[in-house]
Amino acid sequence: MKKILPAACLVLLGPTLAHACAVCLTGAGDDSVTEAFNMSVLFLMATPYAVVGGIVSCLIYVKRGKAAGVKTESDGEPAMPLATIQKESATR
Amino acid sequence: MVRTSAAQRLDEAPVASVIRLEFGGGDPPAPPVRPNAPIASNAWLATVMFLGAEAMFFAGLIGAFIVFRIGSSIWPPPFQPRLPVGITGVNTVVLLASAITVHMALRSVRAGAIGRGKRMLAMTAALGGVFLLIQGYEWARLIHFGLTVSSSIYGGLFYTLIGFHAFHVAGALAWLIVVFVRTNRGYFSPQEYTGVQVCAMYWTFVVALWPILYGLVYLY
Repeated sequence: MKKILPAACLVLLGPTLAHACAVCLTGAGDDSVTEAFNMSVLFLMATPYAVVGGIVSCLIYVKRGKAAGVKTESDGEPAMPLATIQKESATR
Repeated sequence: MVRTSAAQRLDEAPVASVIRLEFGGGDPPAPPVRPNAPIASNAWLATVMFLGAEAMFFAGLIGAFIVFRIGSSIWPPPFQPRLPVGITGVNTVVLLASAITVHMALRSVRAGAIGRGKRMLAMTAALGGVFLLIQGYEWARLIHFGLTVSSSIYGGLFYTLIGFHAFHVAGALAWLIVVFVRTNRGYFSPQEYTGVQVCAMYWTFVVALWPILYGLVYLY
């Protein structure tokens, strides 16, 4: 903590010292290369979310399809014989 | 004798069931247990993961293209040949048509129409082959006009992006031919069609990727 606090104050007092890499310095500019890098970074940042979202959507889609299939298969045949259901209803 | 046969009848499952239901006694039959089947096959899941990795690979290439394309004030660079937009547009339609035929093949195999499935697989392979032939013809012309990998960043990006896609189409075509041969030998049926399914998934990925690359490299 004793080391972190002075370092944080130093960064706040001299923000140019925080420009640790060429990309950070480029990001501060306003030319076409900066815009190109920013667009590329945004695209690459968004892609993993799109890929993982796509995989999860696929799994949900398949699971819902399977659930609908099971429901359709069991529609023709009741889970319990009707006589049993009627008897249970009568005893209640 | 009569008593014995009557007793045997009472022990028979349907009779015993009716007696139990009408006169009480015994527990009601347990509801049928639904099998706890996985939502997708291992091959399906592995293909989805593989396609995710492929998507990330192409995203890296597209990211590099974006840096150079947006960073350049003049695109294409001077003294570089223009890309054939028209014929590649027709080629795009050919490839998109192959996505329809591969899905028709999958539906046919699922429905048990194996003969129709084979025809659709053959048509898909033919459309993929036509796509690759036109691409190869274009490349030969572009190289003749001086656009090579080392001629400029433009050429390098073009051959890297479009080349990797063509390589994937060639791989998918080889896979499709293997699936066609296996279908011909009767490996697939309405109960077992995973091989056709995962091949169709990969083909669809390759086809879906192409309009993005076409729009980015040829039109943007």
